[in-house]
Amino acid sequence: MSTQSNNQRLSKIWQGLAILLIAALFLALGLWQLDRAKALKQSLKTSTQVDQNRLSLQSLASAREALPASAINKLVKVSGHYVADFKAPNQADGNKKVSDWEVGLLQVGTNSGILVVRGLWSERLLNPEISQAMVIDVEGQILAHQVDDHSENSQNVISRLDSALLVSKTDLDLFDGYIMATAETHNGLALERTRPTPEKLNSRIPGFYWQHLAYVVIWWLMAGVVLYLPFYRRRVTS
Amino acid sequence: MNGTVKRYRFMAIFSGIMSLLLWFVELPVKHLLHNESLATSLTWIPIVHGYTYPLYVLAAINFGLKARVPMKNLLFYILAGTLPIASLMAERSVARKYS
Repeated sequence: MSTQSNNQRLSKIWQGLAILLIAALFLALGLWQLDRAKALKQSLKTSTQVDQNRLSLQSLASAREALPASAINKLVKVSGHYVADFKAPNQADGNKKVSDWEVGLLQVGTNSGILVVRGLWSERLLNPEISQAMVIDVEGQILAHQVDDHSENSQNVISRLDSALLVSKTDLDLFDGYIMATAETHNGLALERTRPTPEKLNSRIPGFYWQHLAYVVIWWLMAGVVLYLPFYRRRVTS
Repeated sequence: MNGTVKRYRFMAIFSGIMSLLLWFVELPVKHLLHNESLATSLTWIPIVHGYTYPLYVLAAINFGLKARVPMKNLLFYILAGTLPIASLMAERSVARKYS
């Protein structure tokens, strides 16, 4: 009799511990989702804000090295010669408008280069006076290289904005990423072009703020349900 | 009791419809079609689904208490809200037994 009651007590203790463990797990999952919601809100704020200071390219990044995350979205100033011109088809701008872009390879200094989105491919002949010998001052936003192909690669067509595609076509040391030009000048004279706006950046945390908060509510409610179930059983069976 | 059953049945049908929309509309558009503008226009689905489920769980517990449903059945009703069709099946079962 005593052994049986001891076993029952032990079984109840184990059940109680299991319930507490499961409830704690649900509470932790709720806290995790709450952290995700906060992180998502913060990352949306930082990814859509552009630092208005114009910095030199060399102060933010180095050729032959991955573009630091801290450099992405920054406004840069750089001077150099355009040594090659490419067509980047089917590129979407910040307003989701798809068009073909003219992308120049800007030689910076003696042996490095970076891709610059100059404008629409259809407007590439607007400044016939510009030659490769001229120094062009470029201002723009530096962005991370693209990963998805938008077309096929060919001699003067690049499938995505990624300097890795040009490794076999140039001897220059290439910067990672590319510059979305907002202005180009030569001897203080502005080169007038339609400049595509960069695609809006998204947070790397998937989902939406209110969706994560809904999961917080669900996980904590489930924790409450687990803690309530023994009382439910007692009420139903009594 | 009648009101409790009606509330549970309403929430079961509503969460069933939201689950169907989530599994067969929002998720395929987001992960298979890669259509960003269409996916953005469907963002309300996971959010409404997320907030519907806790209400469904509360309605299920309220119904379980009133109808003195065994705990195993209550757990089935609670979990039915997470899968498409399951909550609709639960609603049919409740309608047959209690309406």
